[in-house]
Amino acid sequence: MALAIEKKAVSGWLERLLKLGEVIAPTRTPTGDVLFSNIRSGSDVAWNLPNPLHPPKEFVLPQTDPLVQIKRNGQHHEVEAIHDGRRRFLVNARSCDVKGIAFLTRMHEMEPADASYLRRSNNLTIISLACATPCPSGFCICTDSGPFLSDSYDVQLTDLDKSYLIEVGSAKGEAAVAEAQGLFRKASEDEVSQRKRLEETAKHHFGNETCHFASAMRRISTGRVPDILWEKMSDWCLECGGCNVICPTCYCFSVKDLGRDGVWVRCRLRDSCQYAAFTLEASGHNPRPEKKDRMKRRFFHKVSAQYYTRDGAVGCVGCGRCVQVCLGATHMPAVVAAIRKGSWHE
Amino acid sequence: MWGDRLRQPLLQRNGKQEPVSWDEALDCVAVRLKQLLAAGKPVGVLGSARATNEENYLAGKFARVGLGTNNLGFSYYSICAPLLAGVEEVCGTPAATLRLNDIASSQVILLIEGDLAETHPRAAGSVLQAVENGAHLITIGCRETQMARVASLHLQTAPGDEYEVIHELSAAVADLGQGRPSVSIRNDAGQQDLEQHFGSLACLQAAEWITRAERAAFLIPPTCGEENRQWKTAAAFTALAAITGHLNRPGSGVLPLLARSNARGACETAVVHNRLPGFERLDDSRSRQRLEDLWGKKLPSAPGWDAEMLLQSVSGLVVVADDPPSVMPIGQKAMTALGRLEFMVVLDAFATPTARIAHALLPISSFAETEGTFTNMEGRVQKLRPATNAPGEARPGWQVLAELCARFDAAASYDSAADVLREIGQAAPQYVGIEQRLAKAGWSGALLEDSAKQKLRIPPAETIAFASLRSAERPHLLALDPAFDWGSDPLVFFSPTLSRDFRSQRKAFPNGFVEIAQEDADELQVRSGRRVRLTSVQGAATVPALVRDDLNHGQLIVPFVFRDHVSNVLGSDSVTAVRIERA
Repeated sequence: MALAIEKKAVSGWLERLLKLGEVIAPTRTPTGDVLFSNIRSGSDVAWNLPNPLHPPKEFVLPQTDPLVQIKRNGQHHEVEAIHDGRRRFLVNARSCDVKGIAFLTRMHEMEPADASYLRRSNNLTIISLACATPCPSGFCICTDSGPFLSDSYDVQLTDLDKSYLIEVGSAKGEAAVAEAQGLFRKASEDEVSQRKRLEETAKHHFGNETCHFASAMRRISTGRVPDILWEKMSDWCLECGGCNVICPTCYCFSVKDLGRDGVWVRCRLRDSCQYAAFTLEASGHNPRPEKKDRMKRRFFHKVSAQYYTRDGAVGCVGCGRCVQVCLGATHMPAVVAAIRKGSWHE
Repeated sequence: MWGDRLRQPLLQRNGKQEPVSWDEALDCVAVRLKQLLAAGKPVGVLGSARATNEENYLAGKFARVGLGTNNLGFSYYSICAPLLAGVEEVCGTPAATLRLNDIASSQVILLIEGDLAETHPRAAGSVLQAVENGAHLITIGCRETQMARVASLHLQTAPGDEYEVIHELSAAVADLGQGRPSVSIRNDAGQQDLEQHFGSLACLQAAEWITRAERAAFLIPPTCGEENRQWKTAAAFTALAAITGHLNRPGSGVLPLLARSNARGACETAVVHNRLPGFERLDDSRSRQRLEDLWGKKLPSAPGWDAEMLLQSVSGLVVVADDPPSVMPIGQKAMTALGRLEFMVVLDAFATPTARIAHALLPISSFAETEGTFTNMEGRVQKLRPATNAPGEARPGWQVLAELCARFDAAASYDSAADVLREIGQAAPQYVGIEQRLAKAGWSGALLEDSAKQKLRIPPAETIAFASLRSAERPHLLALDPAFDWGSDPLVFFSPTLSRDFRSQRKAFPNGFVEIAQEDADELQVRSGRRVRLTSVQGAATVPALVRDDLNHGQLIVPFVFRDHVSNVLGSDSVTAVRIERA
């Protein structure tokens, strides 16, 4: 059953959520950047901000993720797990980022399950806002991750001008709505059909230009991308790792101990599969010594049928962030197009 | 916190660095330096290409007003000085006449290629963008790098011999007779010389692209060879931009590719032995007067020693965030020089090799913990904002330097880094009003105004010509790759992810390596890891070989980080003819 909430009542709802935990939303910093960060009051959410450059994976998979504290105690070492059990509400996230976190959660639930990740994701409730107009570099329609969601969300809002239509998609979502029962009403039939119309219009805004994952997937999965193409493409990558940093579905990491005065904290650090030494082995052997090998690996993981079958989705949510940050020219749509055509810049 | 951060002031006692209070440390520094001055012993100051403008400016002021000396420099200057001098020779200023964003809209890019994608990825990104938009990229270099592979034309040359190609290009330009009329080559001898070297078809094609282009970008990093060769290469390169009409023209120009965050800022705040703030000449009487009025003191007029000379000659040294053994081409010789100092005080955030042997160590905030500004190579002044607190008792560098100045009667009452920047605006003409402009700017900072159009000067061809070093007896050229070794920068070295490649390279090759071409390797029958013996007129060394398929026959390259392993062969030069054999 769809619900609705008047726009002016939303801040009251968020106030209630603030009493339960952290509320995180896109905010504009004094220097003009848009970031996901904690808000202090229910009226602090600026609903019309562009999607932040950094996806909200920080709240499930932080850049530096302290896992275990190791302390020297005489002849022994004491080891203690570090728990982050804070309850968080992520408000005004876009559909692509909801799908991004759903992707990460599916991956971290696989055996052996990742307790540190799941503790955070189980305590995270996402209240997303469906996109009535696509963002300039987004292509979520090609990756089944927007502009509106039909699954994976906790609560999905649709902007109906004076009110928001509320769709609840999970038990966590139900709990968030139950916190302020009095503020919601049953949505009218008119409101429900208005949401459907908005979704159709939003889809049409994408036009015919789409990113052809299916054809790229067939070629990648059956080894029909010639090595020379990877080699050519890799000359247009500057190995900055920016695509990994801002990708909502990237989760490669390395492990480092941060230590001082006999206490060490073992941390998981986000890493980049595009860096030469990421796969460097202690013997000096590197299974992916060339940039083309690393690029091939990255796109195989994101686009191949092998992973599609396992994950039920391509490893891309069409947010277009890599298009914005790529220092070279090898972002997802460009590479997918090149694979489909079998040529690069010709 | 990753890595070794300095948390409290340390003084060396009985051969050990022991923690002391700030007052005790600063008093000790003042007393020791004053003792040296009283005894008539030379002292000097090193700033740094990774220190802020404010820190560098105060380091310069401390040297000139506090210590009364022009013995002043920074380690990276010994790498980029010939390049800057060459550009200055033609343009009248060493400052970039091209912005990074101009590169992307250029129609032609002429690049002296070290490995731009590796050393300057941001500039390389703009180059790729231009190529994607149909620009002609012409690379001049000794290997088939990434940029060379995407180039329309790659002009192969031996390391340090880029001049020969530039010369050929200039000849081809002259031959095309399409040099823009605003500038022309007047020197007759030069003209004849040019005609003799009538270029190859490739050069002719390149010359045609360059002369026809509305907007052309000329990118040049520090090259190899002794100072004079580097200077000439840069002058010839800039002269080519001048004769094709691409200087003093919007969207076109020369961009000297400097490394590190603040090499340009360190020049313009004048931690340079023969320059004043604004990079003006020490003997420029108007600049001297302006500074004497501002600082209220007479300035020392005798030119000082540059960083390298200073290391060999002073008794007392103040080091601000510099680390000569990791940055200077002389490598470990710098460490030896530091070891014989009577007194050295180091201001740094990190325990660098230099900091570890300091007599006094003053911990300062890193770039992430302090206010201040950096000026990048295109002249963009960018503001630092503290993102976190400095560890332990570390203080902002500008504050520590201001305190030192005060102990030496060099008026320095600043309440903030912005006060220092305001004074820089009075000292360096390019920086007038910069702090107001920065206050309004976001992350992108504020671009320094272009300097007033200077009269271009084309040096006569014979003054910039030189011959190749290769000889029949020693058919191979050994060159030291001049690209800055980022692995030695503490910001990279202490970052677990960024330092990984550098650390693993050092671990895998504890004896360094020399890159040799596949062809040479086949001839000598060596594989990667096998040792080869290199002999030059200066001496010999044995190092492991690393076989590369993108190098030309006869070319041998040693990465900067491994320079100490071949210092016997290179002598004081960075390129030399050698004989190579299996060891």
